[in-house]
Amino acid sequence: MIDIQHLSKNFDELCVLSDINLHVQEGEVVCIIGPSGSGKSTLLRCINLLEQPTGGKIFYRGKDITGGEMDIRQLREEVGMVFQHFNLFPLRTVLENVTLAPVLTKTKNKREAKQFGMELLEKVGLAEKANVKPANLSGGMQQRVAIARALAMQPKALLFDEPTSALDPELVGDVLEVMKKLALEGMTMLVVTHEMGFARDVAHRVVFMDNGSIVEEGNPEDIFTNPKEERTRAFLNRVL
Amino acid sequence: MSLSLLKVLIPMLLTGLKYTIQIALLGIIFGFFIGSLTGFVLQWKSKVLKFIAGVYIWIIRGTPLVVQALYMYYVIPKLLHTDISSYTAGVIVVSLNSGAFIAEIVRGALQGVALGQKEAGLSLGLSPKQTLFHIIVPPAFRSMLPALCNHFIIIVKDTALLSMITVNEMTHQAQNYTAMSFQYIPTYTILALFYLILISVLILLQKYVEKRMGATK
Repeated sequence: MIDIQHLSKNFDELCVLSDINLHVQEGEVVCIIGPSGSGKSTLLRCINLLEQPTGGKIFYRGKDITGGEMDIRQLREEVGMVFQHFNLFPLRTVLENVTLAPVLTKTKNKREAKQFGMELLEKVGLAEKANVKPANLSGGMQQRVAIARALAMQPKALLFDEPTSALDPELVGDVLEVMKKLALEGMTMLVVTHEMGFARDVAHRVVFMDNGSIVEEGNPEDIFTNPKEERTRAFLNRVL
Repeated sequence: MSLSLLKVLIPMLLTGLKYTIQIALLGIIFGFFIGSLTGFVLQWKSKVLKFIAGVYIWIIRGTPLVVQALYMYYVIPKLLHTDISSYTAGVIVVSLNSGAFIAEIVRGALQGVALGQKEAGLSLGLSPKQTLFHIIVPPAFRSMLPALCNHFIIIVKDTALLSMITVNEMTHQAQNYTAMSFQYIPTYTILALFYLILISVLILLQKYVEKRMGATK
């Protein structure tokens, strides 16, 4: 579904990603782990073109998105994103946060968007907060709203950029629970995370990145119990 | 201070007050339009528009309001072979002047909205324009309101300078009265009190706006 070939990204002189090759299949959950500054987030942000790659190609369902074969807005409708700091719209209620994009992009009329929005809030366990402003919610709740907001566009795949890193430890569980539910429903997910437990339990595949390149990838069992690369082992020893 | 002084001076000042408020209101409204436009342009990619906006702000910030008023009333009509009333010249000058300052307020407010908000909008498939108007502008406008209130207070006081080009606002009315009565002490004392009361009301209003903004944040 998402096919990344020889992707590289430089910020001026600084090389953030080099020669990344990654293939994600429909329905697959891929967790990207690695030390901070290893380029994980940048890789994710290249996939929905929040960052413009400097080299290589990214194909989404066979279309070269880096070569302009696909409308960027269409791509972003189909590949949603959840951010580390939620980035909810502060002046709008929870429900308005969820319904804004479907209404503006005309994928749904107001009534449909509202109805679907409530279903999604139900799904993330926040239906009773529909008319509250984001600032009145805990971080964990805000992140669940952000997930509902991304789901409102009925994406085919979701990118999670460290979705629990900004949360107090006791709030992490609820967010991971929602993500797990999505994974079980067959959503294609790319998750940059420091939650090794989640990667182990939920991911079909784990990718370890360091220094702008993919060092090792494989199924969670192999990566966590029997890493081949020294750098992977060193990293896992530090975080586990 | 005699009763007859008050009988003549107060109505004159009230007439002046009407002009003062009118010009200040028109100034902030037009200024807001000019300022928003210029503020957006400053964020734009076009180098030419940015340059024009930069020159405009440079000229306005680089010259005193009084000089701008004198120029607008005495020089520009002459160059264009037309006539404009001092009132019109006053409104134009105040609008242009506040436009340049509001442009900076607008630019600051737009930049103040976190980049994450823009990215959230774009990541949902919204166009850059939709993201600007539906996601960035509403919180930016909100954060601008206290600064706009503050600027309005400044404009109200600035209108006094338009007495130099004979606009019939409060200060000019007071000057007219002293010219015929020579009662400097009571006239200017009452004039100062008029401004003080007017500005006090506006400050209360500003406090109210700020409180409401804070409460819903």
